[in-house]
Amino acid sequence: MTQQYAKISEYTPAEAMVVYAARFLANFDGKKGLIGTGLPLVATQLAKMIYSPNMVIFVETGQADANPKELAISIMDSRLTYGSSWQMGDPEGLYPLSRNEIDFGFIGGAQIDKYGNVNSTFIGGDYNKPLKRLAGTAGAVDIGVFAKTTVILMAHQKRRVCEFVDYLTTPGWMVKKWPEGTLVRREELGMRGGPGCFISSMGICKFDEGDKIMYLDRYFPGITPEDIKANTGFDIDVSRATEADPILVDEIRILREEIDPLNIYKMR
Amino acid sequence: MSKVVSLQEAIQEVKDGDTLLFGGIVEDRRPVAAAIEIVRQRKKNLVLLGTCSQSGDILVGGGCVAAYRGCYTSNGAFGISPNIKRRAESGTIIIDDIGHLDVSIGLLALQAGVPFIASKTCIGTDILNPAYDNLSKVAEVAGNKEMLPNKKYVLMEDPFFDMGTVQLIPAIKLDVCICHVQMAGEEGTVRIDGSLAFDHYGALGANKVIVTAERIVPESYIRQEPNRNCIPCTSVDMVVEVPWGAHPGQVYNYYDMDIPFLQEYANSCSSQEGFDKWADTWIFGCKGHEDYLDKLGASRLEKLRALPPYGYVPRRKGGVK
Repeated sequence: MTQQYAKISEYTPAEAMVVYAARFLANFDGKKGLIGTGLPLVATQLAKMIYSPNMVIFVETGQADANPKELAISIMDSRLTYGSSWQMGDPEGLYPLSRNEIDFGFIGGAQIDKYGNVNSTFIGGDYNKPLKRLAGTAGAVDIGVFAKTTVILMAHQKRRVCEFVDYLTTPGWMVKKWPEGTLVRREELGMRGGPGCFISSMGICKFDEGDKIMYLDRYFPGITPEDIKANTGFDIDVSRATEADPILVDEIRILREEIDPLNIYKMR
Repeated sequence: MSKVVSLQEAIQEVKDGDTLLFGGIVEDRRPVAAAIEIVRQRKKNLVLLGTCSQSGDILVGGGCVAAYRGCYTSNGAFGISPNIKRRAESGTIIIDDIGHLDVSIGLLALQAGVPFIASKTCIGTDILNPAYDNLSKVAEVAGNKEMLPNKKYVLMEDPFFDMGTVQLIPAIKLDVCICHVQMAGEEGTVRIDGSLAFDHYGALGANKVIVTAERIVPESYIRQEPNRNCIPCTSVDMVVEVPWGAHPGQVYNYYDMDIPFLQEYANSCSSQEGFDKWADTWIFGCKGHEDYLDKLGASRLEKLRALPPYGYVPRRKGGVK
């Protein structure tokens, strides 16, 4: 890869999100990740090609050390099976989580709150008559409970990045203690792990070591911290933020030509 | 003893109000032909367990499902399963969400013949929210109430390893499990390639197991390598040969997904009228599965045929690099 920078007009916000996520996955070279469906599959495929070739991929439909030769579009895609070390079923795909083997989980979602709780179940209205019914838990709840850290990928919009999720699917730092539903720190329920990073279409957010509230760590070129404040549903701390290194021409080229040449994920 | 029957005969054994698990996940290795036959036979008040994706969503559109209890209501890249989405948003279907490990562990308990297993699967989340607990409503519509547990979960402190609060997850009991697989012997021994999804759990514990297979082979052939088999004949009640039985989804080593068909389904079914029109073409407009295949046409299906050694259709001509 050459170090030539791409112009902002040469890529879309979705592509930026995927490229920065792939860069972030360089932290997990040689580590074991359980990857969720959607754009996390794309970013993982890109990371495996350029930043973390030794990352070990687990999938919730039972593949251990999956090595897809081309981008999967389904979580049980045949593309995930061919070349994997072991192919069983969903239970065997998920047990590495509850055995505490998984270093990081990587998921998308529809809503994330300031504690890193993620919602992929419903938005608005009531549980029994929602405004918008979504996919439900799939592996997202299990990743949030058991992975040593969780990486979350989602477009940055005011209604998505909110004060508190409409439904708590994936547990973040402040979770609900039942039967009352009292908000408590996850450690209080004997839960390990927790969200480590939220990569959006505008920047990268992390969680404060002390109060575990989301803050802005990096903003993407062409985006200002004020833009991010205006597109966040709570008063996000941007005081620690710096601009992210620009995207490379080669990163976009590989994403478009090698990873998703048919634009199956409609990123452009 | 041969267990081979016709698809029509097999589906006649599914009773109104049954709790039902389909094999496969999302649009992969799903018993779509079986789902279509269930709609054709106008079954009612089924309780769909596990997931509601390509095959389950057809049942919802066809008015066969009163309640769903599971972990996934999406067709993956093709959007939220359109029929259950519409019914959920109009408040006309009972939904009880549980986690993916909950389904796995619930079916493990079923397979092992134990009442429950403890884990931390949904601690801290709204899955455990009593206000969203619809289990009793699910049990109300089920034909056999005893198939549903008395409670969604129980929390307790781990008495053995001090793991803190754990959740007791009850067995998921099945009246019927329907799997679509690559190969079955005529006595019911099953061989699956690719992900087993929950098939190998569900089939071992369900009261009635229907297997539809791309190919039925002599039982003696499939028994040459018993270690390669995934479900024993002793757990299977009926076997049906249904080539292309998971179309428009994938079957590893056999065919890839029919993307335009899946997109058309997603687009058509945003309204009930849209689904009904789709059903007029693909369900009621066909006498049976052979008719469905004739309507698709040989050339369309040939394009989907998987290429060895990959087990799917590589997107680039000449295979994958």
